[in-house]
Amino acid sequence: MIQLYRVTKYYEGVPALNDVSFIVNKGEFVFVTGPSGAGKTTLLKIIFCVEQADEGQIIIQGINTFRLKSSSIPYLRRNMGFVFQDYKLLPQKSIFENIALALKVVGTPYGDIERRAYQVLKKVGMHDKRHLVPPKLSGGEQQKVAVARALVNEPQMLLADEPTGNLDPESAREVFRLFRDINMKGTTVLVATHDWETVNKMRRRIITMERGRITDDGTQRASDVHLRVSPRTEEGTDGSRMNEGEP
Amino acid sequence: MRGYGPFYFLAEALRGLRANGVVNLLAVGTISMAMLIVGFFLIVFFNVQSAVNKMGERLEMSVYMKEGLTQHEKDFLFYRLKMEPGVKKVVFLSKTEAFAMFAKELKGQEALIQGLGENPLPDSFELNFEHRFPESSSLELLAKKFSGFPGVEDVSYGKQGAEVLSGLYKLLSYGGISLAVLLGVSVVFIISNSVRLALYSRGQEIELMQWIGATRGFIQGPFLIEGTLLAMLGSALAVGILMAIYYSLPSEIMFLMSRVNGLDFLPPSVVAYMVVGGGLLGLVGGLVSVRRFLE
Repeated sequence: MIQLYRVTKYYEGVPALNDVSFIVNKGEFVFVTGPSGAGKTTLLKIIFCVEQADEGQIIIQGINTFRLKSSSIPYLRRNMGFVFQDYKLLPQKSIFENIALALKVVGTPYGDIERRAYQVLKKVGMHDKRHLVPPKLSGGEQQKVAVARALVNEPQMLLADEPTGNLDPESAREVFRLFRDINMKGTTVLVATHDWETVNKMRRRIITMERGRITDDGTQRASDVHLRVSPRTEEGTDGSRMNEGEP
Repeated sequence: MRGYGPFYFLAEALRGLRANGVVNLLAVGTISMAMLIVGFFLIVFFNVQSAVNKMGERLEMSVYMKEGLTQHEKDFLFYRLKMEPGVKKVVFLSKTEAFAMFAKELKGQEALIQGLGENPLPDSFELNFEHRFPESSSLELLAKKFSGFPGVEDVSYGKQGAEVLSGLYKLLSYGGISLAVLLGVSVVFIISNSVRLALYSRGQEIELMQWIGATRGFIQGPFLIEGTLLAMLGSALAVGILMAIYYSLPSEIMFLMSRVNGLDFLPPSVVAYMVVGGGLLGLVGGLVSVRRFLE
């Protein structure tokens, strides 16, 4: 699904990504973590063809992005949903119109727009608020709408850049639950985050980055490996009970 | 292939026009001022051109024949002259008719005519030309061509008049083209600025559309239509103002002007060209801004 071979990207001579290689298979759920400035956002931008790498090879859904004409990039992006930290919802448009825009962009017939927008909003539990404008919603609700927008065209891959960076723990958990559900239905999910607590609890593959390099790539860090017979239950930061493997 | 057609783009363009109402109103106003100048000069151009054409129609060329030509030779020469491009009318003037005309012109000075004795004037063909033909160089070429023609004694035409006419044509054409280019560039500039403002005001939406897989055509379509509509509106407004001014002119002025060569309003085809041409300039202005913005 995503293959990166020795990818390097410089900004004014300073490497933001340095010799990065990894493969994400179809249906995988991968976290990319690391401190600020580690290169997580640059990595996602390169996968999403917003930036071009200076060295290395990138193959997305079997397409070498170096050979991709700029006129073909929109068509590649239609197979990738993107969720931003700041939601990027249009404040003057209603929730429904925000979702409808994503459908119009890919040429969805008018007759299907209302039904499909309603369905995806129902999936994230926001169908009752479809006539409101984003500023009337909480951060968590806005992010759910952003996830709905990313999913409405049924992409094969979902990329998220610090999707819970502006959210309270409960909203963050809800967003991660949505990601988990999407992934369980077969969509490949790649999330860049520094929310270590959630990352550790979800027990998925973690790519750790530091100063543009991958320092670790595995299901969890060695220090987190425990032998257990049954899923552990513990309390979340807000006092709610959480199961292991869940956000 | 699925996709949205011109109606979607038009609806989006109208939405954009409404959203930036004040800016667009200013743009329409400025364009209409520029197009008003274009329209004013077009009226002057067409009226002067029609005057020049009338003068051109009056321009004549005389092809004098040698003595003793047979009817067959005269007919041959007649058809050769008639076949020349730009020649509107060829009239045979016999030496007797020419002499009669000459005598008529010299009425009161019969002694001069009597002094001539035998009629010295030759048979001739009198040529009239199409409106656009009297280019002095073309006339000179034609005169040269027929001067050496068998059976032709001499060719004469109002060389000075033709040169003045030709100069007037050139002045009108080049002056008109330069002015049109200058004002066309200003319209492109005005539209590109107006579309740029629209682009900046919707920058967030455009950026988002790029992220969610919108093609360049999908993004730029409404802005190009917006630019085209703005320029067409401005041009139509200019035509409206010109018409209002033209028809509200006091009848005395109209009468005075019509005494010269007739002051006509722009022909409908030119009005259509002005509006469509303005639209095209708007399209170019829109393209300039959208391309720069998206890159």
